[in-house]
Amino acid sequence: MSFFSYAWDWVTTDANWHGPGSIPHQLLAHLGYSFLPLLIAGLIAVPAGVVIGHTGRGATLVINLANAWRAIPTLGLLVLIAVYQWPTLLTWLIPLTVLAIPPILVNVYEGVDGVDPGVKDAAKGVGMTPWQQVVKVEVPIAMPLILIGLRTSAIFVVATATIAAYIGLGGLGRFIIDGLANTQYGPVAGGSLLVILLALIVLGVFALLSRLLVPAGLRGAGKDNQ
Amino acid sequence: MMWSWIPSNWSEIWELTKQTAFLGIISPLIGLVISVPLGVVAARWRWINPPTLVVVNVVYAIPSLALFIALIPTFGLTDTTVVIGLTVYSLCVILPNVVGGLRGVPAPVKQAATAMGYGPLRRLITVELPLATPVILAGLRVGVVSSVSLASVGQIIGVSSLGYLFVDGEQRDFPTEIYVGLFLIIILAVACDLILVGVRRALTPWASGRDRAPGIRRRVVPGTPVTPVPALWR
Amino acid sequence: MTGFRNRVVTQTGTVNPDYTPATRLVLGDAFAGGAEGRWLITFEGVTKRYPDGTVAVDDLDLEVPDGKTMVLVGPSGCGKTTTLRMINRLVEASEGRILLNGDDIRAQNPAKLRRGIGYVIQQTGLFPHRTIEDNIATVPVLNGWRRAKARARARELLTTVGLDPALAKRYPHQLSGGQQQRVGVARALAADPPVLLMDEPFSAVDPVVRGQLQEQLIALQTELRKTIVLVTHDIEEAIKVGDLVALYHPHGTLAQLATPERLLAAPADDYVAGFVGFDRGIRRLSFFRTDGLSLSAGPVLPETATVAAAVKTGEPWILVVASESDPTPSGWLPSDRLAGLDGAALLKDVAADPFGHTFTVGDDSLRAALDAAVLSPAGLAIGVDADGRVAGLATFDQLRSAVQAAQAAQDALDAQENQDALAAQPGSGPGAAP
Repeated sequence: MSFFSYAWDWVTTDANWHGPGSIPHQLLAHLGYSFLPLLIAGLIAVPAGVVIGHTGRGATLVINLANAWRAIPTLGLLVLIAVYQWPTLLTWLIPLTVLAIPPILVNVYEGVDGVDPGVKDAAKGVGMTPWQQVVKVEVPIAMPLILIGLRTSAIFVVATATIAAYIGLGGLGRFIIDGLANTQYGPVAGGSLLVILLALIVLGVFALLSRLLVPAGLRGAGKDNQ
Repeated sequence: MMWSWIPSNWSEIWELTKQTAFLGIISPLIGLVISVPLGVVAARWRWINPPTLVVVNVVYAIPSLALFIALIPTFGLTDTTVVIGLTVYSLCVILPNVVGGLRGVPAPVKQAATAMGYGPLRRLITVELPLATPVILAGLRVGVVSSVSLASVGQIIGVSSLGYLFVDGEQRDFPTEIYVGLFLIIILAVACDLILVGVRRALTPWASGRDRAPGIRRRVVPGTPVTPVPALWR
Repeated sequence: MTGFRNRVVTQTGTVNPDYTPATRLVLGDAFAGGAEGRWLITFEGVTKRYPDGTVAVDDLDLEVPDGKTMVLVGPSGCGKTTTLRMINRLVEASEGRILLNGDDIRAQNPAKLRRGIGYVIQQTGLFPHRTIEDNIATVPVLNGWRRAKARARARELLTTVGLDPALAKRYPHQLSGGQQQRVGVARALAADPPVLLMDEPFSAVDPVVRGQLQEQLIALQTELRKTIVLVTHDIEEAIKVGDLVALYHPHGTLAQLATPERLLAAPADDYVAGFVGFDRGIRRLSFFRTDGLSLSAGPVLPETATVAAAVKTGEPWILVVASESDPTPSGWLPSDRLAGLDGAALLKDVAADPFGHTFTVGDDSLRAALDAAVLSPAGLAIGVDADGRVAGLATFDQLRSAVQAAQAAQDALDAQENQDALAAQPGSGPGAAP
């Protein structure tokens, strides 16, 4: 049987949709594990990235941050925290939030820093205060990259929340880990499929956000800028 | 932290490290080999680009564990599954950079080459690819670092790597093992990264040590991730 | 051919009586005369020193007259752009002070200061995420105008800078380079600031568009009378567009400050002469009028005249015009083509050479007249009136007299002004002249 047939069989089994630990329950938990760290990380990283991008201070740190964080194995970090037995909330919230910050921070910084210097000079020259320069000019122009950073981080937390099931958390990863332990491929495949679908939905949400938030004037410019 | 554990288990640790290095390095290299021809095609026939980008974005969004699991029925619980999974991810990072790097070669340079009598293939090999090398290597760096790190996830489906230290350390409630695993993976990843930086310097003596060749603008085209700090992150 | 530009100006400056910058002496108060008019922007001993030791601007004294175009010109790195950017405090002076309208600019809030100063840069810096009209409306909106009113003003300004108001809803990337530059100027004018700063605004467009934009600026200035400070590396642009030209040495000091005509007539030293370029004598002629040029009636015949009449004049070249009542030129006839033709034939049936260039008496400059003479197969410049009718012909000799007379007159005028200025300075010492 293929991956899809295993997964499909399992997902369409009605029993899996009812009761404690069922699909809706774990889905909700997974959303919680993903959305909350993303939100907090965003609230920290977006303003920080904007300030660093606008002032240029701390830029070297940010640039090197991307490479450094990419090297950290999330499984190892999660497992370490589980072994130290932190209280549940902290076990997942802090590490996931901290890990979700770099992609947002780096992309927001790149976006704001990458605004055409002529445009930045003009914004200053027409008499905008620094706040106005940032809010009216730099952030709107950086919006595509800001959204890419948030999207990347969103995908990342969805994936990490999946792995977090290994240290006992709920969420869609629960099906995978339990299924592997019991050598039942059904839930393993089914859980994986659901996680993949969730990731695709996240992509779709961000595509929509991009339509809504990226100023119209920037969309056409893409082709000419090469 | 029980330091004595390390030397007494060194041979196993070393095996696992070699395993991780294998998984983490082979995969992006395969990804590179696949990406370059595909990237050349995509750079040449521009209409291929938007759909390619969509596919790449979608595939890259798939969580690693789920991807490995999806590959199991076809490739079994073997190294191959993880290698293929990691190769796919590396492809998602390197391919846009190949396209971006090639498209970033300044048009005047290409025209001069053609005007001097270079045929398209020769121009590609002797002019465009060398100039695109910094950007391509930047993508390779990301691919290697991520792969070394992601290989550990394969442990969950039983594919051996330094991830074993995490799994075992968790079962035995033994932080030392976990620290060792973390440390080695990070060191390995950073070492590979630095080696690739050296490779880039060796291959492109004309570039000023930045992740792009002179003349290639870092300016990001909205919607098209071409920056040497790839927008995609894992 | 560009027309003659009347650069005789009559403005005087009232300035802090305790302060006598070198510039006023150099100009000889060339803007002497009327009671109104002021020096709007004043640089007093301004220096800009960077942390690594480079001195971009070195002890600069400069005054920009109200309602005039001052052009800062010089080689790359000479400090002209730095000077410009100190006016709106995008660069802060290390020493000295800068006055705008009599007030030290450092006393004002920078953002507020900049809203009262228009700023145009080479790369336009148009906000790519906003429509054209919202780009232009930026400063009015910042100043509190309602958006509808600001957009209406934006559309007005589009017409002022020579663009179709239908472009208002487009985005910058949809416009050509020349169009974008015009939008940049419109944006700078939106809040009707008294001062306009322009940093190499036309350097990034092709020469044809550049010429059009320069003409547009001159036309705009005649209408609006803004105080403009324009930076360029192109001496031709400086001469064409400027009322006053400040030529920089390579390292932040002034080599000469003069009207364009004076710059061409009397470069202060070899550096200036080299920068100005080698045919400055001829280029200077574009500042001289043709009113005083004496014209001769010359060998002009209507088309209806006969070949015999033409031959009888004994002239080597005949200018054929449409008719006696409407003497618009048709062409030149060399006398050897007339030999052997039937004497009764009409001139209009004989193939004539194209008459080429003409110059409009009074409007065009001596340079245009000289060029017309050089291009004419007969060696005679055709002077026409505003309707294109032949007013007379000028020989090289007549042109020569006119040129020498004009030069002498201008030199005398400048010498007189210098003398007046020197006399007006109490206790003026040596070093008054550059």
